[in-house]
Amino acid sequence: MSTRLLIVFLSVAVGTLCGYIVFLSYKRNYTYLGGVCDMLSALKQNLAYKKDTVPVVLSGMTISNALLKKNIDEYIAYTAGQSDKREVSRGFLPQSTFDGVNDLFAAIGGSDENSQSARLDALELRFDKLLADAERKYTKYGSVAVKLGFLVGLGVGVLVL
Amino acid sequence: MEALYRLIPDKYVAVIQSRLSLPRLCELRIINGAPVRVCYDGAYYFLCATGLTRDKSTAFVADKNSAENVVMRACSHSLFTVTDTLKRGYIAVARGIRVGVCGAGVMNGGTLTAVKDFYSVNIRLPHEIKGCACALAPKLINGGTIKNALIISPPGAGKTTILRDLCRIISDSGHNVLLCDEKYEIASVVGGVPSLDVGYCTDIISGVDKPKVFEIGIANMSPEVIITDELFASDLPCVRRASTCGISVISTAHAKNIDEVKAKQEYAEAIRQGVFDSYVVLSGPPARTVTVYEGVI
Repeated sequence: MSTRLLIVFLSVAVGTLCGYIVFLSYKRNYTYLGGVCDMLSALKQNLAYKKDTVPVVLSGMTISNALLKKNIDEYIAYTAGQSDKREVSRGFLPQSTFDGVNDLFAAIGGSDENSQSARLDALELRFDKLLADAERKYTKYGSVAVKLGFLVGLGVGVLVL
Repeated sequence: MEALYRLIPDKYVAVIQSRLSLPRLCELRIINGAPVRVCYDGAYYFLCATGLTRDKSTAFVADKNSAENVVMRACSHSLFTVTDTLKRGYIAVARGIRVGVCGAGVMNGGTLTAVKDFYSVNIRLPHEIKGCACALAPKLINGGTIKNALIISPPGAGKTTILRDLCRIISDSGHNVLLCDEKYEIASVVGGVPSLDVGYCTDIISGVDKPKVFEIGIANMSPEVIITDELFASDLPCVRRASTCGISVISTAHAKNIDEVKAKQEYAEAIRQGVFDSYVVLSGPPARTVTVYEGVI
């Protein structure tokens, strides 16, 4: 009896864990995009008044997402001349987000004030859409994935019994 | 000189560090697709793997986008921070380094709005020689009052270097000095701190046009003397106004000698009116003489 209960428990745990992993993948994409939107907002605010250089603005930001922090560090190293080529680590990013981030790092700092402001507006619009999509997936499918994982694990456990 | 090394390719840095003496290096000229030249001790050479050469076949040849790379590094990949100075042909970098930039201008309704397609850059290095104006300073300070003076010399003869030291000496003797550092060359303020010594009684306004500095400086800082670099004819009314307010002005002008200055109509009028009390003429290398003229000449 105890072996059977253990099997049910394990299959429920594995199922829930799988669901939670799916939930986390949605969450990290969402926090990444949230960080990018904060970054764009900081750049726009700075451009409107202080006009600090991009590396100064980026290095002064508090970034919670590890991948975004890595991407920003890569960019700062490139601007400091420590790297000849601008490279952005892809990590877990889906293709659409990765393309957007590449465009973002290529565009920031590359033009005069007016053009830069227009470019940041366009990028903000693009990332707002990506963020809304990521938020929808995170809130809707994320919690569903955990519940589904639990139920599937329970179902498998019952079938094994 | 990290600020310089950050701007240029590593192979140039390696040669400069191992083969050249930085205090003797005045300029580094990079033209896309052309041999890299340096001004060393007042003479021009090509930069090569072994140091300096007169043979251009052994010289480093700049890549086709070298100028753009220097420009982007000079502005920390933030062109919008230097749009105004780029339109005036330069970027001010830390430690008084100035990058002269040539490229294609973007005109809109007769106004220059941006610069693109960078073609060449001239990286000019400042030289801080403390004490170089010690002999000159007593001639410009008369019983506690400072004379209006114009320092005249061709480019590269050391106007800015002597002006900086003069500023330091006058300031350290207790006079309130207002330094108009329009191109960040004299004090080179970075993050609110001057990179070069301009004295402890010096107020510095950087990156602002001279007429504006004279206006706000006279109104708010009560200076005894205003020191500024590269005076143009359009700035002379400000000097006149400052003089009538009892404020001395020490500045510099591009010319080979006093006759060249007198040949310029606006200067000739100012000289006739006695706007300046003294004229200091510097000759370029190798002679490097300093001649002081007094009064209306």
